Amino acid sequence: MASYSRRRTTNIVALGLAGFATFIGLFFLAAILATLIVYGGSAITPRIFIQNTPPPGSDGGLLNAIFGSVAMTLIAVVVATPIGILAGTYLAEYSRGSKLGELAKFINDILLSAPSIIIGLFIYTVMVVPFGHFSAWAGAASLGLIALPVINRTTQDMLGLVPNALREAAAALGTPRWKTMTHVIYRAAGSGILTGVLLAVARVSGETAPLLFTALNNQFWSTDLSRPIANLPVVIFQFAMSPYQDWQRLAWGGALIITAAILILNIVARLLSSSIGTSK
Amino acid sequence: MNDLAHSHAFPAGQVAVAHAGSQAKALPAKIETRNLRFYYGDTLALKGITLALGDRKVTAFIGPSGCGKSTLLRVLNRIYDLYPNQRADGEVLLDGRNILNRSEDLNLLRARVGMVFQKPTPFPMSIHENIAFGIRLYERLSKAEMDGRVEEALRRAALWSEVKDKLNASGLSLSGGQQQRLCIARTVAVKPEVILLDEPASALDPISTSKIEELIDELKRDYTIVIVTHNMQQAARVSDQTAFMYLGELIEFGDTEQIFTAPRDKRTQDYITGRFG
Repeated sequence: MASYSRRRTTNIVALGLAGFATFIGLFFLAAILATLIVYGGSAITPRIFIQNTPPPGSDGGLLNAIFGSVAMTLIAVVVATPIGILAGTYLAEYSRGSKLGELAKFINDILLSAPSIIIGLFIYTVMVVPFGHFSAWAGAASLGLIALPVINRTTQDMLGLVPNALREAAAALGTPRWKTMTHVIYRAAGSGILTGVLLAVARVSGETAPLLFTALNNQFWSTDLSRPIANLPVVIFQFAMSPYQDWQRLAWGGALIITAAILILNIVARLLSSSIGTSK
Repeated sequence: MNDLAHSHAFPAGQVAVAHAGSQAKALPAKIETRNLRFYYGDTLALKGITLALGDRKVTAFIGPSGCGKSTLLRVLNRIYDLYPNQRADGEVLLDGRNILNRSEDLNLLRARVGMVFQKPTPFPMSIHENIAFGIRLYERLSKAEMDGRVEEALRRAALWSEVKDKLNASGLSLSGGQQQRLCIARTVAVKPEVILLDEPASALDPISTSKIEELIDELKRDYTIVIVTHNMQQAARVSDQTAFMYLGELIEFGDTEQIFTAPRDKRTQDYITGRFG
């Protein structure tokens, strides 16, 4: 009986510590979200979506910054997705055991955790300096470089979850390997890979550091991708640091918009990945 | 139904079963292995297997776990080829031609030698598509012809009446036994000559199992069937010939009745009477 009561005590203590740790994590998350909603909520008016960033002391919105962020994220993901999926397919399906494959996986994992400011500096060196000016293309390139390893890695992981039995079953019918991939394996891993792409979007849409070196910022409406372009993270950075109250309010609004967008993307990704389980 | 039976590309030769311990008796052999060895990396898993499988007969491979019976089955359609560190040497003759040759077209080989696995493996697509997928690899059919072929295959696998109203439902929505019959239908639909069954009923309940066994009985009129099973009653029920394997060797091969009533080798007798395994 003594050992039983000791086990009970240990259990209570461990459970208490785990619960406390969970509470701390959730408390700060909730505090951040609450602050965002309190300060940013009042800035969310129709005007924020239809007017451009204003000069200090006048009314305005974030339209140009929202457009710039969406445009660069879209270009980045549209370019990085096929490359990431194809590379992930090669690494998961075709390079099994080869030295090149192992090396590529290793380098991809390093890239996955590389500080984004390094990637911004890299693009600054190869795209901004030679052309002589900042541009939306350079911003999109740096975001694409951040999204690429995420998509590559998720594709590898999701293909790894597809049981070999399915590959054997397709092969046993005499299915050529490429057709097994496109018609059977991608279908089985599809929603997982899509989840990876959405998570990559969520990851890059909040990146600030690489954009400081590449897209910079633009006070005006611009759709010229070879020029500097406004974008939410840099506008938030600049406006939040400013002494002007209306700029600070817009910064809060922008922060709330990004957070809400990322939250929605994550929820969609969750729903998609849980539908893998239920469709079985 | 009989239109599924089709002529073989090569005439089946008369081959004597020449293995010590089996009845030396002339059988038209569909598949013959000669001194077949198989390696997982450096591990020798089959130590020189020589046997001949009769045309349109059901042959059962029995033996304790790890004896190599599944490995032997996986050589017959070269499915092991998916894995770089597995290899076979010796000869495997399908209608007299060695399929272990490097030049063998594996996709065409697998069209002739179909396989059903231990766990049901429906593709993540509709029931109709699960069947049509395989057919489409080899034939271009109109929609009406394809629907006919899908129905024929599902009828063959005794699944038609259960799924005819939900052909567009996911293959994954079926029960385990239905999924396995779907896999058999899918295999039959591409009109192979040989069907390999790797413990096809071991994951199923008794009712599904008996359905699968009836199906095997029905299919053997048109196909050469090889079945790996852990269940000795099943081997006795469904097969014409039985091969008993132990530790990578073929211990005894002969008519099922003889193996189960008058085994020549002591190890065979010990195994079928349940003394080990």
